[in-house]
This record gives sequence, C-alpha cells and structure tokens, in this order.
Amino acid sequence: MTTKRLTTCALLTAIALTIFVAEAQIPLPFPMPGMKLGLANVVTVYAMFALGPKDTFLILLSRILLGSLFAGGSTLFYSLAGGLCCYLSMVLLRRFLSPKQLWVCGAVGAIFHNLGQMGAAILIARTPQLIYYLPVLLALGIPAGGFTGLAAQLLKERLGDRVP
Amino acid sequence: MKRALFGGLALALLLTGCGTQSSEAQIFAMNTFMTLTVHSPHAREDVKAATALINQLDRELSVTRPESEVWALNHADGNPVEVSSDTAALLKAALELGEKTSGALDVTLYPVVKAWGFTTDEHQVPGEETLSALLEGVDYSAVSLIEGEDGAAVTLPQGIELDFGALAKGYAGEVCADLLRDSGVTSALLRLGGNIQTIGARPDGKPWMIGVQDPSRPDDPDAVLGSLAIVDQAAVTSGGYQRYFEQGGVRYWHIIDPSTGSPARSGLSSVTIVADSGTLCDGLSTALFVMGREKALDFWRQEGGFEAVLVEDSGEVWITAGLSEAFTPAGESTYTLHIAEA
Amino acid sequence: MKQRSNRFWLWLLGALMVLSGAIAFWVFTRTAAGTTAVVTLDGREVCRVDLATLTEGYTVSYTGEGGITNVVEFAPGGVRVREADCPDQVCVRQGWIKTGVAPIVCLPNRLTIKITDGQPGQLDGLVR
Repeated sequence: MTTKRLTTCALLTAIALTIFVAEAQIPLPFPMPGMKLGLANVVTVYAMFALGPKDTFLILLSRILLGSLFAGGSTLFYSLAGGLCCYLSMVLLRRFLSPKQLWVCGAVGAIFHNLGQMGAAILIARTPQLIYYLPVLLALGIPAGGFTGLAAQLLKERLGDRVP
Repeated sequence: MKRALFGGLALALLLTGCGTQSSEAQIFAMNTFMTLTVHSPHAREDVKAATALINQLDRELSVTRPESEVWALNHADGNPVEVSSDTAALLKAALELGEKTSGALDVTLYPVVKAWGFTTDEHQVPGEETLSALLEGVDYSAVSLIEGEDGAAVTLPQGIELDFGALAKGYAGEVCADLLRDSGVTSALLRLGGNIQTIGARPDGKPWMIGVQDPSRPDDPDAVLGSLAIVDQAAVTSGGYQRYFEQGGVRYWHIIDPSTGSPARSGLSSVTIVADSGTLCDGLSTALFVMGREKALDFWRQEGGFEAVLVEDSGEVWITAGLSEAFTPAGESTYTLHIAEA
Repeated sequence: MKQRSNRFWLWLLGALMVLSGAIAFWVFTRTAAGTTAVVTLDGREVCRVDLATLTEGYTVSYTGEGGITNVVEFAPGGVRVREADCPDQVCVRQGWIKTGVAPIVCLPNRLTIKITDGQPGQLDGLVR
C-alpha cells in the first residue's frame, strides 16, 4: 500500500467517521429501531467508484469498527452485518451503473444494509417479529439511500478523476 | 383520541403504581446461576444488597476456595477455628438437622463425596475398602461448635471435613429473604439455581407459581410435574438427575447415603420440600431423598414444620396434606398422585 | 445484465418504495392476537405479563450483558420502556404498545417487548 493510498483511505475514513458521529446527534423524526439517514454512506459510495472495492472495504470496515466505539452498546454486530451486505450488493452492482447512476448504488446499498441489519437483529434478539419494521425501513431507506448516493455522485462529478 | 387515552393511562399510573419499582439481577455464585427479582420502592438498592450478601456467603462457605472459612476449618488439623456468625448459624442448623434426621443429612460427608469425584468432575467408583475407611471419619456429632459472647469457635477432629454444599444455597436464600424483609420488601422472588425463595406474594397479590421439575425429563424446563402456589416460603428439590455419572451402565448420583457411602437408592427420584426456612428445605430435601418414601413420610408426621412432594421411581407421587391445595398437577402427566395424611 | 437507464432504476426503486410503504401501512394497522407482554433480553425470555388482568402498574429494570439498563413499565393495557441509558433512546420514544404487532426494541441492549397471545406467566419459577 502506497503512502498516498493509505492517506486517502485514512482521510475518507476520518470523514466517514465524522459524518457518522455527527449524524448520531440528529434526533430521528419518529422512533424506529435501526433507522438512520446513513449519511456516512456518501463516503462508501464515492470510494466504491473512485477507489474501487478493496479500498472501500478497508474504509467501511474501519468506519464500522471505530464507529461502534462511539455508538456505545452492543451495536457492532448489527452494523457489521448491515455494512457487509450493503458492501457486497454495491460490489455486484457497480459494473452495471454509469457515472450518472451512483444514486442507484446508494439506494440499493440502503436496502441491503437494512436487510443485513434486520437479519442480524432477528438472530441476536431471537424475535422474528422485528421483521414488521422492515417495510417501513425500506420505504424510508430507499429515498434516503438515493439521496446519499446522489450526494456521492455530485461529489464525484466535482472532483472528477482527482482523488483527494 | 389515542393521545387522550395514553394521557389518561399515564395519569392513572402516576396516581397508582409509581411507588413500586422492580429490579432484577442475574449473578453466578455458589457454582450456579441465580436470578434475584425484587419489587419495592428501592428495588435497585435491595438487589445490590442481596447480591453482596450472597457473594459474601459464597466466600465464607465455599469448600473449594482457599480463602473461605470452611477451607480454614478443613485445614486446621484438629485445632479450633474462630468462625463468622453465618458459618456458626449454618453449622448449628446443620448439626441439628443431622440429629433430627438420625444422620440422613451429614455435613461431614465431604471426603466420601470427594472420593466419588463429584467435587472435581473426575468421576470414579471408589472401592469398598476405600469407602469404609472414609466412612470412619464421617460423623457430624464429632464436630464441636462453641458459641461464646464474642463469637463462635469450631473444632473438627483430624480427618473430618465439612461441606455445606447441601445447605449453602438454602441458607443464602433464607438470609437474603430476612435482609430484604428487614428493608421493607414485600414481594421478591429469588431463584438460586434450582432453589426458590419467595418473599411475600407476587406484585399483583397472587401467590408465586413455582413449577416442580419432572425428574424423568430433567433437561426440559417446560416438563413439570405440577406447580406449587407459594407465599413467603422457600422450595428446594433434590433429585438423582441433578448431578450424576454413568459407569458400566449404572448411574451414580451426587446424593450420598451417609450410612453406606454410596449414592442413595431409596426408590425416590426427587424430593421437593416447602417450608418457611430455606436452610430446612435444602437440608431436608437431601435427607428425605436418602430416607425413602416411607421413612420420609413418617419423619414428616413426627416432626412437621414443612411440606413435601416425593416422586418415586415407579411413577407414584406423594404430596403431604398441607400441599393438597397449593399443588396443581400438570395437565398431561404419567404420574399417579397420592395425598399423604398426617 | 447491461447498463440500464436512469428511468428504469427510478421506476424499479420507486415501485419497491411504494410497495414497502403499503406493506408498512398494513402492518401498523394490524392488531396482535393477545394481551400478553413478553420481554426478551439477549434472546432469552425474561418476563411474561398478562396486561389484561393487571390492576396496578409496576416497573422492572433489565440490564443486559453490555451493561445498559432498560426500565420497563407494565400497566393495565399497555407496556413501554419508561427510561433507558442506551445511546439512541429509540426504545423510550416508541412509547406505549398495547395491541400492535410491532415490538418495542432496544437494539443496543438487545431487549425486545412484544404482545402475544401466549399463556400469561403461569410459572414464576422452577424448582429442580
């Protein structure tokens, strides 16, 4: 790993972590377990298209591990399950998307993040009834993911091929 | 509409149920999992105090911890040892129970239990000679407890070793119940491993409903023989299914008959005792298991002060008369129920 | 699969969103088949209370393996998390549940409360 790559990854991780911590301070409009804006995904989507899957994986994993230190409680497993599902869906999807379609990546990533997180929560809490929250999470997560993806798309357009 | 409903509900709560709080703690002590549930205006502090007391008793009464009083006694080479009030009180109760049950409960059985490997899980069947040699040293009446103004001293003759394993949990439940009652708790349920200690009734005023494990299906917590309605009392079960090993197709369990030094084969598969005192419950569940059904019921008729559920290997269940209303048999059961009259 | 137009994705994701929304609406207007509140902590059932027969409210605190505590309040006809020291407070803000199928969840403490038709706590304990 070159110093430049390391620096880029570290910088993006720091940005993602900052967004993650800041977002945790925003109160949710209504209480829904597992619901959040997912703004930190701007970095994930951007990195997926600007740097490729390998670096994105490192950034995402670092962000989740470090983020769980800030979040408190035993939330690491949910985030890991959600994050990995989201990541895999993005890796599979990215080839079929043009540079004008990063918003799709954000929305689909949000869907799979919710699916992974929900699966982990049902397994850990052994409460299958949690699935009742999935439709709401998806209905709200798709537009929220679409917008974070769009933010990443606009960012990529501004920066062009210049990697920070 | 909904909001008004909830508002009303919240207001009703403020007016009625706010005084009581409930708190629950799960701890591991005395080699078992315990759940302490307390309902009172200061439940958190109560649970903390009870937890601390149990941990303290565990330290004092453990036979395997080198810092315990029991350890000190067992390693005193015949010299007198000063003991805490808890150890003295429990030893006193143990010796009295030994006397009452004609030695069916003997706290000096420890060397024999060790020889069977129940203390280390390295199970083995000791030889006849080993056992008879070890039984020489089993004699609760040789233990001397001298209680003075400023403390108590215990002397164990050389070769005699104490073990409160059959009593410690019952005692812990009892003194915790006393502690909680003293601090004003009127409703609490202490689950100490398989022992139950209740204080008062449930928060809704109904008796605690305590299931009795079906000894033929020990691994299924839903398999109950029936349930006991209990208020402010303790309940303890002893059964051959609790700890055992198998060798050569024979099952050897941890309840040892002090007269033979071998697992008690009295025809009983489990004994459940209900009484005010948890120590009595714990000690008698073991002693009556050793006695067998007939002797156990005779003992109940003579001594009284407790009630019992006896389950025989043959599938007969005997309930002492005092439990006839408190005991509800399980819906589907292969057992035949008998009520033992006084 | 080849690259698709923006319009394709918009329709696909829009349809998914509308479908999810419809299902969500259906879910949240359903009522549970009973009146028994069941609390699970770390995947283990710790409490079962029949809210219909309750005459007086009371609270129970549950502390999970992570050291977080939820104070659960049972009342005639409803159950809620009254207070909690979890970071997100989602469980507290979910308020009372009475008949809904969606459970109260505290993800950080792995605590859930649901309403079921299960037999209300017949046994408080087991001697064994």
